[in-house]
Amino acid sequence: MDEFSGRSAIVGLGYSKLERRSPRPLAHFAREAAEAAVADAGLKVEDIDGLGTIPNIAAYGNTGDLEGIDIVTVPNMVQMLGLEHDIRWHVQTPGLCPDTIMAAGAAVASGACTYALVWRAVNVPKGRYSDFSREKAYGGNQFRAPYGFNMPAAWQSVALRKYMHDHGSTREDMAAFVVQNRENTQLNPKAYWHGTPLTVEDYLEAPMVADPFCLYDCDIPVDGCVAVVLASAERARDLRQPPAYITGHAQTTWPTRGGFTDSENMWEGGAAMGEKLWASAGLGPDDIDVAMLYDGFSIFLYVWLEALGFVGRGEAASYIASGATALDGELPLNTSGCSLGEGRLHGMAQISEAVLQVTGRAGARQIEGAAHTIATVGAGTLASGGLIFSREARA
Amino acid sequence: MSANEAAVTKPIPVPDELTAPFWEAANRGVLAIQHCAACERYIHPPEAVCPYCQAQELSFRQVSGRARVYTHTVVRDNITRGFAEGEPYVIGIIELVEQERLVLVANVVGVTPEEVEIGMPLRVTFERLTDDIALPQFEPEEA
Ligand SMILES: [Zn+2]
Repeated sequence: MDEFSGRSAIVGLGYSKLERRSPRPLAHFAREAAEAAVADAGLKVEDIDGLGTIPNIAAYGNTGDLEGIDIVTVPNMVQMLGLEHDIRWHVQTPGLCPDTIMAAGAAVASGACTYALVWRAVNVPKGRYSDFSREKAYGGNQFRAPYGFNMPAAWQSVALRKYMHDHGSTREDMAAFVVQNRENTQLNPKAYWHGTPLTVEDYLEAPMVADPFCLYDCDIPVDGCVAVVLASAERARDLRQPPAYITGHAQTTWPTRGGFTDSENMWEGGAAMGEKLWASAGLGPDDIDVAMLYDGFSIFLYVWLEALGFVGRGEAASYIASGATALDGELPLNTSGCSLGEGRLHGMAQISEAVLQVTGRAGARQIEGAAHTIATVGAGTLASGGLIFSREARA
Repeated sequence: MSANEAAVTKPIPVPDELTAPFWEAANRGVLAIQHCAACERYIHPPEAVCPYCQAQELSFRQVSGRARVYTHTVVRDNITRGFAEGEPYVIGIIELVEQERLVLVANVVGVTPEEVEIGMPLRVTFERLTDDIALPQFEPEEA
């Protein structure tokens, strides 16, 4: 394991309500989650002296980036919490939340700040999720936009097509995962799809978004925010909740060569990230008790299960079909419903459930004795990241 | 016709320092792909430095235009700019025969979405967008 392993922890977790196309400004969701996370840690807002977020909009195309409406930046949060004189450290990272959580973990472990609040606020953009209506296409878009290759669902659907062709899996196989995931979601009252079951027939008959992706291969966009509070391992022991120690961390630097054209990049990038993740924690796939693997699109489950070495290449579909990833299986997977079931929170659903499971706070879906959990975010290529959380500071 | 009657076009590629030779060739009906003399590999989309061997001397080389379907998707119920609303279209990830995993994005044209399958042999054709820009597209080789 590396020097960073076990030196910081997530000590508080907070959610806003998850809605769709809410008339409330996104800033209200972010404040709600931030205050809930601080209270969960047993702290007061004025104890927070570090802030980190990922202020990206969630959509591709021409949607807005209005402060407080579409994004919630550090200055906005400072103002809402009245912390103008208190913040000693802050960061805004592009990309995905593991980057930000790692940075905040390093900040509290080093003493640059004492308690860091990290949040991700996302909304359902106005209009269509993917609506490239610009007249001209610059940069990477010049090789995609003229061809109508304009939406993340299309970018990832080509990977599922190739997987089904190369490994003989079917839409029925994916239906098995999505339905299992929706069953887990029924045990998660904060999830958007809580109270809405899904059958294999529902999946197979759903509208196609980008064939072979149907509606239910895509996560459910929500307006909402999840926030976490981090502290050093030393301070974490004295707070209100059991700490989720960060014992493994990895960021990928694998290029998305060609812009989501060659899906093999996802497996290669995910595997490269996996090597770093396991090495940093001194752990391997067999040590993980519960896995939260990124499911912004369904195909990512196959990518992460295989790239991280939980199963061999081409084995993910049959592994899921065997029941191994159910709540009573050997590797309970996405126990809260994550992005597909809880909501499109760009990885914070994964992080939060990994924290809840390893601290014994996952309620009706708790996996008994979970000592090590994993959360991955992204598609394996650039901006992806992964974290391992442990019940004890040293893995 | 007046401006508000002008047809909505597909987004027009804007060539830049890296991509200008690709579009200049396409405008002449030639498919030219960036090539690294040092490691003799093709690169697409064009890069400033060879991602395989880090060489910086890169040029463009005409390729055969023969290819196959690496994978594809079918967009239905579309509202995509420049495409007939609601008309399904095929986005192909097209693997050129010159090199394994040398892929580019194009529409597979001259065929129904149901007929497209992985491995299908294709050849390049060009769709004119403006006086300066022609899009490489792909159609079945036997067509
Ligand atoms: Zn080279």
